[in-house]
Amino acid sequence: MNDVNKNLSSMILEHFGKDTVQIESLKPGLIAIHASSEKNRDIIKTFLDADDEATLSAISGVDLGDSTEVLYHIRTHGTIVTLRCIVPRNKPTIASITDLIPGANFHERETADFFGVTFKGHPYPKRLLISDDWPEGVYPLRKDAEIPSPETKAEVLPEEEMTTRAEGTRTVKIVIGPQHPALLEPERFLVDVDGETVTKVTPRIGYCHRGVEKATESRTYMQDVYLVERICGICNSCHSTTFCQAVESILDVEVPSRGKFLRTIVLELNRIQSHFLVLGHAGHEIGYDALFQYMWRDREIAMDLTEILTGNRVITSFLAIGGVRRDLEEKTKPRIMEDLKKLRERAEFYKHLFEEDRTVRMRTEGVGVMDKKEALSLCVVGPVARASGLKIDVRKEAPYAAYGEVPYELISRTEGDSWARLLVRAEEVLNSVDMIEYAVNNLPAGDFKIRVPRRVAEGESISRVEAPRGELFYYVKSNGTQSPERVKIRTPTVTNLYSVIKLTEGGNIADVPAALVSLDPCFSCTDR
Amino acid sequence: MCASRLVRWAEKRSPWLLHFNSGACNGCDIEVVALLTPRYDVTRFGIQLEPSPRHADVLLVTGVVTRQCAERLKRIYEQMPKPAFVIAIGACGCSGGVFAGNYPLLSGVDKVIPVDMYIPGCPPKPEAIIDGVVKLLKTLEASEDE
Repeated sequence: MNDVNKNLSSMILEHFGKDTVQIESLKPGLIAIHASSEKNRDIIKTFLDADDEATLSAISGVDLGDSTEVLYHIRTHGTIVTLRCIVPRNKPTIASITDLIPGANFHERETADFFGVTFKGHPYPKRLLISDDWPEGVYPLRKDAEIPSPETKAEVLPEEEMTTRAEGTRTVKIVIGPQHPALLEPERFLVDVDGETVTKVTPRIGYCHRGVEKATESRTYMQDVYLVERICGICNSCHSTTFCQAVESILDVEVPSRGKFLRTIVLELNRIQSHFLVLGHAGHEIGYDALFQYMWRDREIAMDLTEILTGNRVITSFLAIGGVRRDLEEKTKPRIMEDLKKLRERAEFYKHLFEEDRTVRMRTEGVGVMDKKEALSLCVVGPVARASGLKIDVRKEAPYAAYGEVPYELISRTEGDSWARLLVRAEEVLNSVDMIEYAVNNLPAGDFKIRVPRRVAEGESISRVEAPRGELFYYVKSNGTQSPERVKIRTPTVTNLYSVIKLTEGGNIADVPAALVSLDPCFSCTDR
Repeated sequence: MCASRLVRWAEKRSPWLLHFNSGACNGCDIEVVALLTPRYDVTRFGIQLEPSPRHADVLLVTGVVTRQCAERLKRIYEQMPKPAFVIAIGACGCSGGVFAGNYPLLSGVDKVIPVDMYIPGCPPKPEAIIDGVVKLLKTLEASEDE
């Protein structure tokens, strides 16, 4: 336990006393607080009061048989503190914290969908991920849930918001999605407009929900690496790295440093191709298709590098528990260096373009402004948070893989608008190229993988990785068998997407795509 | 008769594609979009990605078909002018892939709408998708000769 955690736990003990809360440790070197379910709001409030930059990272549930455990993962002082509250199965009610942290909205609805926990005082307690035709009262992540066959369908009632139209107002409702030219993925946004001004946005997600969290429980750890990788085709290596790190932490094994460097290279390649993708897509959304075509052409350099390193273009299948699956061959190094040089030239050009170009600035400057305080209350992460002046990055807070050694630089801005969010990404690409170059040149000799046992002893751990879209969070609980007991996956877009409500309200309807794309939403990550 | 031959001729020379994601991981979708960009550039075959189902000849479906998406996929297919062709892209679209059998899924495009062509892979390379579309066009040509 480090100093920060010691201070935190003594603060909590001082506040509530040993009778109300118990403190225990959680891997890797984190602390968890056991408390009664009535105290959840008080304890979270104490954390928020004690640290200006404290916010919620995730809420997860675990089925314990006759009761359900609700875990609040709070990010404070660059570390995670977990608050665990147990609610009985026959009366699963706990107070909502959405008035303290509005960003908890989606997390609470998700826990309600999966475990049937009622969050008292939630402003919009509707289904989030589970489909509309899913039978009432079946909570899929409970261990004893009887999964209905695809033919069993509940009656889908027409939704209230879609059918009622307020009399006497000028408000018009526009439905964007699930199939829409501006959306690559299916998700629905109901936009209320008064003239040209957006008055309200209601997202309905869950169109991509594939039940990955439940599926991990019926597969082995080795199979799960390939399953979680397929949550997202863009940041796939980030998912597998986070999962592998969580399992390695329970197993108490250390990855050889060559493996760590190779992980860093593939993670940064992920970031480069993801940022090029979204910057190009932003060009498309603001009506600048030449930029889209140029950026996607140059994105192919990063795809080629990924193929040289891992053997695959998109889904890399590069990670394994205990290291990586392939070594970097010495003979490919000159080609990698040559490609990195090209990539750097292009990245510098695009950074300049995003800084100077009139079209880009006119469409994105001052659009969807979010200040630092709002960023905290909406729990945003990654480039979205960094563009609002919030200096958070897992690579800095809790370095994993080889991030302690490569030349990393935290890039942040203070404007908080769509332009700043795009520019942060354009600058990060340059830093990523530096890191890959350093890692390839200073690749340590030795093994790139160690053998690990197939069975994982009982335990639980938390793992975090800075994915291209922000902090990716995994909570893994093992039960001594070959399959995990519970895997909670909190992807960056789940927490970033809620802010779209704030970003677009009061703005122009034509600015909605520009604001949405600047969040870089990945709906396949969101829905899992 | 003459009109249907004209339609066939136009479809063969310039098929318009509609892409629908029915719950994919983004891997296949990004590869479909990559088809339009300079390295693969399918526009040179007269192929164009079209946002509206009412203008499309070929429906490219990626993803596992989730419960929430199934009804929508059916409606999109019904909105397309016939004859319409369906290509299922990726292991997920073909059979459910790595997710097959999970609770919110129907696992496979052919559970909902008829499929004319399967392109397996996780994800298939852009070259494989081009190959699939070109093969579909060849079958159209063969059916015209009959």
